[in-house]
Amino acid sequence: MTDAALLTLRGIEKRFGGVIALGGVDFELRAGEIHALLGENGAGKSTLIKILGGIHRPDSGSIFVDGRAVEIEEVTDADKLGIRLIHQELSLAPNLSVAENIFLGREPGRFGLLDHRQLLANAQALIADMGLLEISSVEARVADLSVAQQQLVEIARALSTRARILILDEPTASLSEAETEALFVKLRGLCSQGVGIIYISHRLEEIQRLAHRITVLRDGHSVGTQATAELNQNELIRLMVGRDLKAHYPRPPWKPGAIALTVRNLRNAQVRDVSFELRYGEILGFAGLVGGGRTELARALFGIDPLHGGEILVDGKSATLRCPSDALTAGLALVPEDRKRHGLVMTGSVAFNLALPWTHEWIRGCVPNLQHRSGIVSRAVQSFGIKISDPEQPIGSLSGGNQQKVVVGKWMERPPRILILDEPTRGVDVGAREEMFTIIHRMVQRGMAVILISSDLPEVMNLSHRLAIYRDGRIVREVVAQEITAEEVMAELTRN
Amino acid sequence: MTFNFKSIRQVFPLLLAIVVLLGLFRIWVPQFLGLENLLDLAQQISVNAILAFGMTLVILIGGIDLSVGAVVALIGTVTVAVLAQRGLALGLLAGFWMAAIFGAINGVCAARTRMPPFIITLATMLVARGVALRFNEGRPLAVPDTERLFLALGNARLFGFLPVPVLLMIVAFAATAVLLHRTRFGQHLYAIGGNREAARFTGIPLARNEVIVYVICSLLAGLAGIIHASQLYSAEPASGQGFELNAIAAVVVGGTSFTGGIGTMRGTLLGAIIIGILDKGLNQAGIHFSLQYIVKGVVVLAAVYLDVRRRKR
Repeated sequence: MTDAALLTLRGIEKRFGGVIALGGVDFELRAGEIHALLGENGAGKSTLIKILGGIHRPDSGSIFVDGRAVEIEEVTDADKLGIRLIHQELSLAPNLSVAENIFLGREPGRFGLLDHRQLLANAQALIADMGLLEISSVEARVADLSVAQQQLVEIARALSTRARILILDEPTASLSEAETEALFVKLRGLCSQGVGIIYISHRLEEIQRLAHRITVLRDGHSVGTQATAELNQNELIRLMVGRDLKAHYPRPPWKPGAIALTVRNLRNAQVRDVSFELRYGEILGFAGLVGGGRTELARALFGIDPLHGGEILVDGKSATLRCPSDALTAGLALVPEDRKRHGLVMTGSVAFNLALPWTHEWIRGCVPNLQHRSGIVSRAVQSFGIKISDPEQPIGSLSGGNQQKVVVGKWMERPPRILILDEPTRGVDVGAREEMFTIIHRMVQRGMAVILISSDLPEVMNLSHRLAIYRDGRIVREVVAQEITAEEVMAELTRN
Repeated sequence: MTFNFKSIRQVFPLLLAIVVLLGLFRIWVPQFLGLENLLDLAQQISVNAILAFGMTLVILIGGIDLSVGAVVALIGTVTVAVLAQRGLALGLLAGFWMAAIFGAINGVCAARTRMPPFIITLATMLVARGVALRFNEGRPLAVPDTERLFLALGNARLFGFLPVPVLLMIVAFAATAVLLHRTRFGQHLYAIGGNREAARFTGIPLARNEVIVYVICSLLAGLAGIIHASQLYSAEPASGQGFELNAIAAVVVGGTSFTGGIGTMRGTLLGAIIIGILDKGLNQAGIHFSLQYIVKGVVVLAAVYLDVRRRKR
């Protein structure tokens, strides 16, 4: 490692609508360095690396490569600068071979004809050069490789283009221990050749073994860069969550009623043996990392994904929830994580979406009662403070916060007894967030049982009465929310 | 759903196009706007319109049904074949029954497998055509002269004025428009077409609705096939070629989005009228049939382009 800065960021700012993702971040990467980027969900890591990769453009701030100011406006700009981003989700073409993937878009050939022999030879040379013994044949179809091997193909692809800055986002999430170890050896080898590596992971032990320096992001700001040797795990966790946990949004008074929902040994492809109880008038928060399988639990409870085993009891009676309409009949409702994909019919109007679950009430046979319909719509609009100019305006013309209120509000003509909220404040601005908390408050005080899934740790800790710490498809610990600190939760979630 | 200002604005360009086309053809063909000619035009539109009503429902939920043209031929053939042996009632029953089977196959495959509707209905199109050609070894089956009632379906005029096919088209329009715009089922189709996943998360049964839509589309194709056979005085196993494309053209000219979730039945009716005026007008104006294809192609492209541009704004 040298002291010369390969990449320098100064005062990078980025906002999405009213949400500040990055509020002036400084960052420096040296040649031959592995630099870990740490932070909670939503701290701004993804936004930062997407800016480097040319996927987002910063609102302000400057980027220097080798001390020269550069503009990264598109992915091709990042390419030319030798910046390579390897995403959590792999971006390989599964039906092409290893060689074809490595040289995708840069295939050797003449007059528009592919020189297949040259392609294979180049790929073979590159693989040998990198010492990637795990990839036995460059002619293998990528879809037939393991996830670890695919990851290596991605890295090979990045290096075949003379990458100088390599950005890896959670590369070990789906790797075994041995595969992780092999990857680390490769990464250290690259460093010795002068490549700078930005490494993002939630696994603290891994970072402490691999990284030279660590930068912690919190709420879109850098809270400092230090040499790995100077930090122990507890200090790291404190840096990550050291956010003001004061009662911005106090939880509603805890008056638990009868047991609303009992889940015993629930299992399917993503859910691995989950059991819990939920009472009326209480909020059970599910804290975890993005990708930890909480959405899959919500889907299983709502009858979307089939169960392999286990039991769900609603009001103490066994319930078979094979499809969403079973779940709705049993008194459950789900506010899904991705409102545009799962929550709203984007071709429809605000009124269409709000009235959709209640067609049986406002249409009898072939006689729609439009007064009844507009009653349903205006009740939802009023009680949730949805800001619209006309109920028939397209749902897409609303802000994220107002769209989210529609997703919640569409269930409230006859409120469910059990409500599952999956990331209810994702992508909404501060004001709408507060309003969402008020709405949750009101529903719980009326006796509703609420499951709150949120990747925002302060939010889920402050709002919930009880907390289920969830990772890899399991509840690893269940506690009264007031009796645990954010540091302890983070430690549970980042343990190797 | 309601006839408000917005819905008038939506159909206005189509009405304007109809007026302009009628005016244009009046210049080339002096008798074009005569009552007899207009009734004849309406009669010619009816088969395509009936197919297009069913196609609208299918396209609205993001599907496509390429089999309707072949189903027209098959149902005509089946009906006439049974009719000649067992009488009108059983003939119609057999025809519609066969149509429902093909619709159910399309619908179940589309809803329960991950095969694309384009491929499913391409395959059932081939099967339906093949089955139709099995009858009488592909030769036309003449309708017996004694089957007055059957022949009336395609050729008679009510009160000596309204052609029966036009009446059937109006009934089919009213039924499908009510179904789409005034029932829960219709609301659910808009939701499924607009966002399948959101519809599922709202508790709407996808598979059942999808099967019903394909069955309705096939039954309407069966009705069109019966009218078509009656008009020809015989069942022609090789007829109906390309009918599916004409129906799709009417649907998209009428403003239904190919990605699903957007469209109205009255738009489709107007679309079918526009396609019908073009067909008949160009024919009567003595334009060579090769040019007719080209003009129709350009009109479809222009209509959809304007529609897409209007929506973007």
